[in-house]
Formats: sequence, structure tokens, C-alpha cells
Amino acid sequence: MSAQAGRLLRTELKLMLRDPLVLTFVFVFPVVTMLIIGGSFGTDPDPEFDGANPSHWYVASYLTVVIAATGLVMMPVHLASYRERGVLRRFAAAGFPRWSFAAAQLAVGLVAIAAASVILLAVAAPVYGVPAMHLPGRTIAGLLLGAIAFVSIGIVLGTLLPSARSAQAVGLMLFFPSFLLGAGGPPPQVMGAALRSIAQFLPLTIVTDAVREPWLGVGTPTGSLFTVAGLAVAATLLAGRRCAL
Amino acid sequence: MTESHVVTVRGLSKSYGLRRVVDDLDLDVEAGEVLGLIGANGAGKTTTVECIQGLRRPDAGTLRVFGLDPVTQAEQLRPLIGSQLQESALPDRLRAGEAVTLFAGRDGRDGERLLEQFGLSERRRTAFASLSGGERQRLFLVLALLGRPRLVILDELTQGLDPAARRDAWAAVDQLRRDGTTVLLVTHELDEAEVLCDRVVAMRAGRILDAGRPEELVDRHGRRATMRWAARSADGSATLLDELRRLPGVADVAVTERHVEVRGDRAAIAHVGAALVRAEAIPDDLTVRVPSLEDALLELLDGTAEHLSPPAAERELVGAAR
Repeated sequence: MSAQAGRLLRTELKLMLRDPLVLTFVFVFPVVTMLIIGGSFGTDPDPEFDGANPSHWYVASYLTVVIAATGLVMMPVHLASYRERGVLRRFAAAGFPRWSFAAAQLAVGLVAIAAASVILLAVAAPVYGVPAMHLPGRTIAGLLLGAIAFVSIGIVLGTLLPSARSAQAVGLMLFFPSFLLGAGGPPPQVMGAALRSIAQFLPLTIVTDAVREPWLGVGTPTGSLFTVAGLAVAATLLAGRRCAL
Repeated sequence: MTESHVVTVRGLSKSYGLRRVVDDLDLDVEAGEVLGLIGANGAGKTTTVECIQGLRRPDAGTLRVFGLDPVTQAEQLRPLIGSQLQESALPDRLRAGEAVTLFAGRDGRDGERLLEQFGLSERRRTAFASLSGGERQRLFLVLALLGRPRLVILDELTQGLDPAARRDAWAAVDQLRRDGTTVLLVTHELDEAEVLCDRVVAMRAGRILDAGRPEELVDRHGRRATMRWAARSADGSATLLDELRRLPGVADVAVTERHVEVRGDRAAIAHVGAALVRAEAIPDDLTVRVPSLEDALLELLDGTAEHLSPPAAERELVGAAR
């Protein structure tokens, strides 16, 4: 990594911590909603939660809420705002390589997800407990690939949407249905057939399955990890292409 | 391209969609000169300098900056150029000192010196969003001058600056000239171009209308001078007015209840003065307005109006009343 790219990454990390949208959506919102929803269905194993402890089911699910908030809200708004205000042009004129900004954003997104996940688990541990991972390798792979996929989707959205306001509107419109149907809302078993069939095709549902199933040892092998890997590769290639334009 | 040319542009064309904004433009910038690109909004000035910086890919033509291609050799070229871009910003929460660290690279002392020079030392810890418009412009100027670039591109340098800050910015450009730095100044503040530039290039609709030293452009296109004094009974005499009308270079003599106003070329000033002395009618409130670069550019644009058809909105921005 060039010295310039290193300085850019350090600066972007600092700026992330000063951004109220990031603090609210990535760090606070998942924790607060996890505390509320996680305590709503008790702790007894429940068939509607694939036979798992509902609190644990939500603790595992909410890590992907962090991923979605980063990818669908934080990244698009941040990038679109930079494009709208000519910040990227200024970086380009100062000689920052084209790839360095995209790489810094990817790194910042992943760091945000890692930090918010640690906070979420730290808060969940004394309240609901953190369930042991049945298949740690698959769980971590699901988290990592899901994070890369959503951060890349965020970069693509940020390069397509013309302004920070439009990015916020589109981001929130994508985030809340995904959040309610794919990770933080009711379990699929209690949804109506129509909602369940919509939910199963949402990228966030697929990522959540790829994390929750191996973590809690529930559900049936769905190949969701392979789908998430495919999504990560496609989104990263697309993001790289958009940033090279 | 010769050794003395820092920038050489030949046949540059650039369109946005169907709108051609730069049209077959040739331009040379000599080493160590301050060259001004002047003209209305939409004249193609900013697009031209963006192509020179490699921020836009030309549709046609060749560009060389220090002998390098700005698009394909951008990495070698960027350290040699400092630029202050029109309509760009920094992240809202980035502090002034952090911006200098981010853009300065290794030479942090240079940044400290420039912050001091432009009166921003006390604002080092202030976020970009909290800086005033003038402070932001000064910070952009600091960033443009970091690392002592050999070519500095300044696009609307003094936009938003108060008069004192404007003078500081002008002094900074003057210092760059004395240091031998080449400066490409994009502006529609024509008094700024007149004061700062060794040479100016007047553009309209993506083409060059004329180029030369500011005084040469004034000579060629700003021929009108106006003399004016308060009307007194003696001035109204038909003899004096007739004599003034017959003087070489006088185009028009207008007498109102309050003023006498003589318009003509600059040679007429001396003739009118001499005539007033001869007639022993020397006014103690005589004002003489000689043409400025702004007048010259307005005349130049008037003279080319039938050949070019710019958007109507452009006219109001050229040498607009300040």
C-alpha cells in the first residue's frame, strides 16, 4: 500500500467515527433493536426459531443487521456525498490513485462492521449470552463474505446515486425491508407465504442464513454460503469496475 | 513544444453529450508565467484546465504538461502540479490540519508554514464545515501550494474571499511568480487577471478569441475613454463644445443639465485636456475613465457576437458589475 493510500485510510477511519449517521445506524441501531427483539420471545427453544433459543437466534442474526446498515446506508451516503461535493475530484487532482479511495472505503466498511459486531456481542453477552458456534469456520466465512458483498454493494450504490439525499432515501428504502424480512424481524416460519417467498430472495436473508445456520446448528444446508460467495465476487467486481470509471 | 513551454495543447476538443465545450483549442503556457484564462461561465475554461490536469479525457487533440501526457502519465505528473479546483470540497468533518497532513505527504513543515502564511494556524483543529467561505478558499490555496509544485492551477482563486483575504491571495500568486512557479489562473474576475497575469487568453464557447498581455488586449479591444466634469455655464458655450467635437479621437460630446461627458479613444484625453486649458475652462472635478481589461473583453465579445452564439446567460457574467 502506498503512503498516500495509508494516509487516506487513516483519515477515512477517523472521519467514520465522527459521522453521526454511522454511529447511529451501524453502532447504536443494531444494539438497541437486538436488545428489544432479542428479549421478546423468551429463551426456551422454539420450533418457530428452528428449535433454537430465540434470544440466541437474534444475537446471531443481528450481526448481519450491522453488515446491512454498513452496506446499504453508511457506504452509499458517504460515497454519494463525496461525489456530489467534488471531494473525489480533489483527491484525484492531488494524485491519490483511483484504486486507493475504493480500497480505503472497503477497508473502512469492514472495520466498521468488525467494530460494531464486537460492541453488539459485548452488549449481548451479559444480557442474553452469546451462543457457541457449531461450525465456526463456516460462520466466520459467512460473516466475512457477507460483509465484503454488502460493502461492495454499498460502493456500487454510492457510485450510481447522484446525491447524498438520494443515496440516503434509496439506502433506507432497501435497508428496512431487508432488516425486517431478512434478519431482525420475525422468523420466516411466522411470516405469510407471500412475505416468506419475497424474503428468501433478499441478499440479506441469504447472508443471515449463511451466518445463523452454522452458528446455531439449525435449519438445513441451503448452499447459502456458496450463494454469498458468488454475491461477494460479483459485487466486488462491479464495485471495482464502477470505481475505475 | 519548446523547452520553455510547461503546457502545450493542440487541437483540444471536449464535449458533454451533444454540447461541445472546448473546440479545437491550441494553448501554450510558458515556464514561469502567470497565464489567465478569462471568459464567461461556460466558455470552456474549467474543462480545459481539467484536461490539462488529467481529470478529464479529451475527445480529440494532444496535451503535454512538462512533456508528459496528463492521462497516461498522470502518476509522474501529479506531484508537479498543485491545483485549487472550482466547486469542490473536503469532507465536512475533516479538520484543516488533518487536510494538510493528508495532502502534504512527507513535507509537513511546508504545510505548517502555509497555514501560518494564510492565517489558518489558529483554525488547525476546526472542521472544514465550520470554516467560513474565505477560510475554505485559503485552505484550498494552502493545499494547492503544498510540496512546492512547478505548475499551480487556480480555478476561481478568490471566489468568496473578503477584500483582505483577496489581497493575501494575490500576494501569494505574486510570490509564486517571483519564485519562478508557472501559474494557470482561471477567473472571470477581470481586475484580478489584469493585476496578476503576464498573459491572458480570452475564451468563448470553447474557443480562444484573443490572447496577449493584458495591456495588449486593452489596446486592441478597449479603445474607449470617457472624460466627465460638472457642467458650468462656460462649458455650455457652443464654441467650446464644437471644438471638443472636432478634436481627434473624440466620438461623442454629451451635455446634460449637470455634466459634460466626452467619449472617444485614449488619444482624445490629451486633446480634450489641451482644449480645456486653451479655453481657460479647466474643471476641478474632471474624471477620466480609461478602458480596463473588463471593457476590452466586453468589446471583444460584442465584436464576435455575430460569429458565435453563446447561451444568453453568459453575457451577464463577463466582467459583470462588481
